[in-house]
Amino acid sequence: MSNINRRTLVKGSLAAAIAGTTISRAAFADADPILLGVSGPLTGPNAQYGTQWKQGFDLALDEITAAGGINGRKLAYTFEDSQSDPRQSVAIAQKFVSDPRIMMELGDFSSPASMAASPIYQRGGLVQFGFTNSHPDFTKGGDFMWSTSVSQADEQPLLAAYAVKKLGLKKLAVLHLNTDWGRTSRDYFNNAAKDYGAEIVVTEGYIAEERDFRSTLVRVRDANPDGLVLISYYSDGALIARQARQVGLKQVICAASSVYSPKFLELGGDAVEDVHVGTRYFPEDPRPEVQKFIAGFKKKYNGLEPDAFNAYSYDAMNMAAAVIRIGGTDRKAIRDAFAKVKDVPSVIFGTATFDVATRRVKGAMNAELVVRNGHFTVWDGKPT
Amino acid sequence: MSSWLDYTINGLIVGNVYALVAVGLALIFGVSRLINFAQGSIYLVGAYIGWVAVVQLHTPLPLTIILVAVVAALVGLIIERFGLRPLQNSVRIAPLLATIGISFVLDQLVMLTFSPNPRALPSQLPDVRFQIGGGTIGPLDLLIAGVGITSALLLFVFLRYTKLGWAVRAASQDRDAAMQMGVDVNRVNQTVFGIAAALGGVSGLLVGMYYNQIDTAMSLQATLKGVVAEVVGGAGNVPGAVVGSLLLGLVESYGIAVFGTSYRNLFAFLLLVVVLVLRPNGLFASARQAPPEPLTGTFIAPSRPVRIPRWAFAVAVALFAILPLLPVSFYVLQTLINAWLLGMLALSLTLVAGTIGQVSLGHAALLAIGAYTSALLSLTLNLPVGLAIIAGGLMSAALGTILISPSFRLRGHYVSIATLAIGEIVSLVILNWESVTRGPIGISGIPPLSLFGYDLVDPKAVYWFSFVVMVVLALLQVRLLGSHLGRSFRAIRDDDIAARAYGLSLNRYKSLAFIFGGFAAGVSGGIAAHLYSYINHETFNTQQSILALTVVILGGLGNVVGALLGAVALVGLPEVFRIAAEYRILIYGIVLLLLVRFRPQGLLGTI
Repeated sequence: MSNINRRTLVKGSLAAAIAGTTISRAAFADADPILLGVSGPLTGPNAQYGTQWKQGFDLALDEITAAGGINGRKLAYTFEDSQSDPRQSVAIAQKFVSDPRIMMELGDFSSPASMAASPIYQRGGLVQFGFTNSHPDFTKGGDFMWSTSVSQADEQPLLAAYAVKKLGLKKLAVLHLNTDWGRTSRDYFNNAAKDYGAEIVVTEGYIAEERDFRSTLVRVRDANPDGLVLISYYSDGALIARQARQVGLKQVICAASSVYSPKFLELGGDAVEDVHVGTRYFPEDPRPEVQKFIAGFKKKYNGLEPDAFNAYSYDAMNMAAAVIRIGGTDRKAIRDAFAKVKDVPSVIFGTATFDVATRRVKGAMNAELVVRNGHFTVWDGKPT
Repeated sequence: MSSWLDYTINGLIVGNVYALVAVGLALIFGVSRLINFAQGSIYLVGAYIGWVAVVQLHTPLPLTIILVAVVAALVGLIIERFGLRPLQNSVRIAPLLATIGISFVLDQLVMLTFSPNPRALPSQLPDVRFQIGGGTIGPLDLLIAGVGITSALLLFVFLRYTKLGWAVRAASQDRDAAMQMGVDVNRVNQTVFGIAAALGGVSGLLVGMYYNQIDTAMSLQATLKGVVAEVVGGAGNVPGAVVGSLLLGLVESYGIAVFGTSYRNLFAFLLLVVVLVLRPNGLFASARQAPPEPLTGTFIAPSRPVRIPRWAFAVAVALFAILPLLPVSFYVLQTLINAWLLGMLALSLTLVAGTIGQVSLGHAALLAIGAYTSALLSLTLNLPVGLAIIAGGLMSAALGTILISPSFRLRGHYVSIATLAIGEIVSLVILNWESVTRGPIGISGIPPLSLFGYDLVDPKAVYWFSFVVMVVLALLQVRLLGSHLGRSFRAIRDDDIAARAYGLSLNRYKSLAFIFGGFAAGVSGGIAAHLYSYINHETFNTQQSILALTVVILGGLGNVVGALLGAVALVGLPEVFRIAAEYRILIYGIVLLLLVRFRPQGLLGTI
């Protein structure tokens, strides 16, 4: 307990001294909350994603607390900054494993950081719940590794169907982040698109720090595609769309759900108009869990629109709560509870139930959106 | 054929963007012989000041530019006055480390103030496009080119035809002589830092507008590309930096044209290595130009090492050896395991950088080579893990030495730049050579550490294993330093001409140092691979190389015990500061700066 108090205290006083910002999880008034450990980036090159996680977590926790917590006890988390660096994530893993108050771990963000820590969680008997870990080998680390990350084997065929069957694109240029996620996604996408009868005329992988895509786009232009597919995050996706329009490429652009963020619209401006996005949810989605999530998020964060990473972390916290309701406060029982938990309301999946063999969740929801007048809207079936 | 025109234009456009950073770096290098790693951070500050001006204050473009230039220049002056001037009489390498520390602090301050989320920075110029070849360019392209070329020209005129400019050049050629002639060297430095920082800030603003996107990760990339462009053009040569940048842009663009996007940076860094090997003073150095580094080794000044009695070592080793038997948490053990792994890397680097004077900024590549070799051998050939790690060390020694050998003729900063490039090349080869390294997917399921058939999975066992390996390597290195080899290494570092006159073959001794150092680093990487069970091209990145160098300088160059102490400190400090959450890297940067300020020769001094 002392650790958390000190942590909150120092953080609070520092924050007050420097920025005067408010700390969301301040009150630990009632004794002994059930504690989750989060390992993720708060500083370093991926810091933005850790910040987004926090927003989703905090919203979910507010709702869980308002609903009476977990059998009367509060749920809370302690966030350790790993900078997505495997050296730090393994140390954090030992810290969590040897801290008896921690019931479950969430994260890390990047595959090297998450999967380096997996052996420690596995041997230490603490669930590592990697809710953004799409690496196909992540859950093969052991039976304490569980993931709600949308399997790319699920997601990419949906995007391919949107591009090829619905939009009628036949010659595709695929641009992808050259990371484990981008590579895996690209392979699933290309296979599915070929099955649907399209031809992949060019594939280009780029590194995450890339800012300039003009020369890449010349290669794309020379391959003469009728559509561009972006397996990107929102910041690089916006850059590519902008530069594609600047160099005069007018082809239809289709992007993976990871660009689904208000930032994509802000960074892309006019250039992302008419970009098609396959997503898991959308603002007007009538599903109650989506409406609750979006309304709650906007209320808590001054009208800010949630994005994909907010939704992942919100879902993850709700899933963690559901699992702990079944498993109680025994680490092994919590692991077993992952196999028992059924139909947990989820923004991404509608209802989520784990496939015990893969320790992942199948059947992500699908929505086909297009950017019109600077907003994500449901695609009306009209070609662009 | 028209595509080639487009590739050329695109290369020039992006080269244009690099030029803005490179010119500032060249100016500072020209005067203070310092690669200013904080230039990218000033660029970042400029971008965010620009964002405040454009989005919050709605200033018109000319006012925005002036505002950004003034604020950035102020930041530059503060850096010069409080970060670098106190170090001007200390070891040459101290300011380099100080700029790294300053860049940590600035980047973190920006991140804490503005959050790490990327922001849009809308261009304030009319959105018209001009058709050129198959593509278009906009007014911002022209403005960036205008600012780059104009500033290079203005600086050229300033340096050549004004009195202060002469003073700047005099100070850069011989600081002491300039002072004797009555040049106020401090004022010269201030002027240069102010100008360079203003330029850096404006470039951040313009590049941010160009991509309509700014984020806190842009700083390191800007510095890397700027350094490459600057060195290609000839370090310290302002017009050369512009040409170097354009050339870099072209090479990258043609590289994409021929091989594809994922090879882009490979070509950038290959260009750098080729230029360094063939024309180490840059493409535009004149034959008359004085060598950019002093002939004898003032780069690493000798200092009196702190003497530690033998019994103290024995006690320390004994204490750390029995630590797992005491009631300490696995978290502490794991942190120390990390420290021992970093310690092995630091042993390697302190030998190469400290003892023989080849300051490497790409040492993480040796880790990566060792890690991949060991992981692949144990996975595909079922080699026992112990043997695989040794094989990783040997491969790292061999491959590392071969890769670095073309840059043996370089001195001072140029070695650092060449090794930085080689480190990036290794990482990009790992990313692209998919048939062997599995590319971005990485290698998973690497077997855990084991010895004679027993798996070492308990943190205590791993602790003892890594501790023993590190101690053995350290003792070997102490023995090496005490032998005639060690004396020859130091002779080469302190005065390579005298060493050669004595009949020492420089290349042979440098190779020996890299072979030994490569082995230690490779073993460290190998152990890490088996500890993590998963590695990919991002596991061993540039940040680790910079961290290793920080450890070595902090401990005292060439100082074996210092390297280990530095490793414990730099692994331990960020963990200790964990209670400060988001602020910990900021605090770490400040502590680093204070250490450099008050102990520039390192905690235990250079040996």
